[in-house]
Parts: sequence; C-alpha cells; structure tokens
Amino acid sequence: MAACLTLASQATAREEDGPVPPVFAGVVWVATQLVPSPLLAYGSGAVHGGVRWQVTPLSLSFGVAARPVRAFLVAPIARYSGSLEFLFSPEWIGGAAENSTGWVARFGTRLYLPVVGKGESFAWSVGGSYYRAAGGDGFAAELGAYWLFGVFGLTATVAPTMTQREIITAFQIRYF
Amino acid sequence: MRRALLFSALFALHGCGFGGRVILANLAEKDPPRPVPNKIADPYRSDTRLSALWIGHASVLIQMDDQFVMTDPVFTSAVGELSPRLIEPGLAVESVPPLAAVVISHMHFDHLSFGSLEMIQDKVGVLLLPPGAQSSVPTYSFESREVERWVSVTSRGVKITAVPVAHVGGRYGVDAAIHPCAFTGWVFEYHGLSVYFGGDTALDRPLFEAARHKFPNLDLALLPICPLHPRDFMARTHMSPAEALDAFGLLGAKSMLPIHYDTFINSDDAPGECPRVLREAMGARGIGDDRVTVLNVGEQRVYARTR
Repeated sequence: MAACLTLASQATAREEDGPVPPVFAGVVWVATQLVPSPLLAYGSGAVHGGVRWQVTPLSLSFGVAARPVRAFLVAPIARYSGSLEFLFSPEWIGGAAENSTGWVARFGTRLYLPVVGKGESFAWSVGGSYYRAAGGDGFAAELGAYWLFGVFGLTATVAPTMTQREIITAFQIRYF
Repeated sequence: MRRALLFSALFALHGCGFGGRVILANLAEKDPPRPVPNKIADPYRSDTRLSALWIGHASVLIQMDDQFVMTDPVFTSAVGELSPRLIEPGLAVESVPPLAAVVISHMHFDHLSFGSLEMIQDKVGVLLLPPGAQSSVPTYSFESREVERWVSVTSRGVKITAVPVAHVGGRYGVDAAIHPCAFTGWVFEYHGLSVYFGGDTALDRPLFEAARHKFPNLDLALLPICPLHPRDFMARTHMSPAEALDAFGLLGAKSMLPIHYDTFINSDDAPGECPRVLREAMGARGIGDDRVTVLNVGEQRVYARTR
C-alpha cells in the first residue's frame, strides 16, 4: 500500500497539474496513519497479539534547519534527526477478560536521538507514557530503535502495573 | 480533481510492479562499487575558465574561473539505504575544493544525501534548496536557503538562479503531495560564464524556452538523460537521451554534459544503455562529441580556457 500511495502521490504532485489539493495531502496522511504496528504483550505467563496506531499531536525537532515545531504531520527527518514529541497511541491487545475490552489509550512523550545518517539510517528513543485500560491505568517506560528512515522500528514498553501486559514489544511501522 | 485521482490510481497500479523490480534489483546487487582509476586529486586548473568533473549520477563539480560549485553531491556508498553505488564517486571527499555553493535539485535520495553533505560540510559556502525543502534538511555547520524559481542568490561572486523544471517533490515518496514544489533547476553565472543544471526533469518545452529567454548565452548544460524504462512511467518526470538533446537545442547552450545514469539502479535500464542510446540519437542528428561529451565517472572536461 505504501508503494502505491507513494506512486499516487508522485503522480499527483507534478506542478504543471496545478497545486496539490490539501485534501489529497490529508488523505495521504490519514492513510499512512491507519497502518497498524503489530505488537506482542507478555505477562503472567501468557503472550497476546495486538496492534498499535500512533498520532503525534506535537513534535519539537532540534535536528532540522527549518520549522522545528510540527503538529500531526511530522516528516521522518524532523523526528529522527532529534526531537521531543508528545504522542497518543490507541492500542488493541488480545486476551482481554470476558466483559472487558482489549483497548488501551496511551499518552506520553518520547525523545528521539539520531545515531547514523542524521537519524535516517538509525535512531533510538526513550520515553514514558500514561495509559488507560479496562484493568486500570498507570505509567509505562519505553525504549525504541528505528531504521530505514524510521519507517521501521522496535519498541519495548514496560508497565509493571499493567496486568498480564507488563511488557509490550512492538514492530513499529510508521510514516508521519 | 477526479481525473487526477483516477490517473493517480492507474499510475500507481502500473508503478507498483516497477517499484518492486527496482527494489529486488538493488537487493540482488552484491558487487562492491567499481573503482575509478586515476582520480583527480586537485580539480583546480589554473589555465581553465570553465570545467566540469562528473562525480557520478547528478553530482558534478564545476569550476568557473577561481570558484567552484557542486550539484547534488552524493559520496555515500548507497542511497535510500537500499540502493548501492555501482561505481565509486569520481572524486575523493578530501579532494573536494572550497565550494561557493552546493545546489540541490530535489529531495530524492539520489540527489539530496544527508550523509554526503555531512562529509563535505566544512567546504560548503551555502546550500541552496528548492522551495519547501528546507524543513526536510538537517542542520549543518553551513547556511542553507530555499530559493524560489527565477530568484537569484549570490555567493562568493557566483550568481545562482533557480529555474523551473518538470519533476516531483518529496523525499520518501508519499510526501510528494506534502512538498509539491520542492524541485528545481539552477543556472550559475560568473565572470560572463553561465552553466545550466537540469537536476532531474521531464521534457517540458516551455520551461526550457523560458530558461533560454532568461539566459540566452549558456556555455554548458548539465542534462539528465535517464532513466529510460519503463518509458510510459518515466516520461512524466524524466527525459530520455533523445529528449535531452531536444532540451539542449531548446536551451541553445554551447555544450552539453549528460548526467544521471549508470551510478545507481533506479530503473529497468541496462548498464550502458543510456549513453549508447544517446550516441545513437546524436549520430541521427549529426551532433558531434565536441558539443555533447559523454564523460567517464571521475573525468574532468575543460570547456573554456584562459587566454
């Protein structure tokens, strides 16, 4: 889907066709945001699968030459060249008890630091979040590593009070 | 709008297969880059008014009297993480002279290389970017500026003007819709010399005619001649060798240096196909090597000497 979106974007982006309608840019953003990142949750001897989406209401980049403050539409280089972002992550994790829900809402901050190629080749992050789930709410700490322009990454989230989901590892697929 | 979306969908469906082929071809490329023998250690030539050294792809070092400028510098071993070089850069990083300016034609990985800019950052006077690109460029020790089309900037006496071309913006693909204007060509003027750099462009006759109107005495045009295939996919954004000769004629430049081929795998083109097709087109039109010179990577050609 990403490849096709890419090509569609390029087809629409030639200047001779006139300015790109903002709605098209919006469609691209929404479509990329909808791509879920698969995750595995561990706890109490059980492993459950799930998915995570990520939204960035605000990002403060200290690695780019212009426009350090961005909202929602955050270019990969602005994030991975060094930034502090405020995040919102809806998650769904399987294995919820009967009469309960697997949905989790997570709010937090994450600090990204570039390692190789101004962060395009490799970057890492450290963060913290507050979560709300059916079993209660609490705080979590997180570490992440990202490569291939940050489109792919691995994150590990630890929440000692999150029953049966104390550790969550996610294979992150992300664009904006 | 409806037509644009429909075209986009058809274009995307067609392009998906091509994109997969290019990725696979790059992943299959295991050989180290071919070495460039006898690289020039000191590109400055005191007897030269105008010269061009092809570093590879769209990277060219241009000497205009006592000043140097560089186009789309790429010195890294790969671009876009997945596309390895087929041949070494034609100039060692340590041999890069002080540069009045570095220009970027657009944000694609094979033209805007963050790692390469880091390698040469102590040599760069100013980095000039197409409109909308600066927000996607990391911070370096040198100044970077966006330049609107037909606007000129002067650095160390070299006047540099952004000129319109026909290509696409964006860096990562899907952001082309976010940066719809982030691509440009450039013209360098210094001491009565003028050089056109097309970056990456389709054949858009009015744009080349407009450039000729504004710069009627171009000494040299650096023009991309590939990628060629698949042609129906590429033609919207890239010139073929024959179209590059058309552009050369429209610009009215004295000489042409073909660029943008045989350095990375970004198409279905066979190695050596682009210069071969160019030579065939030159032969059919009676254009000699004295006007259009195909350089080897690392080769420097002098276009004007001091008297």
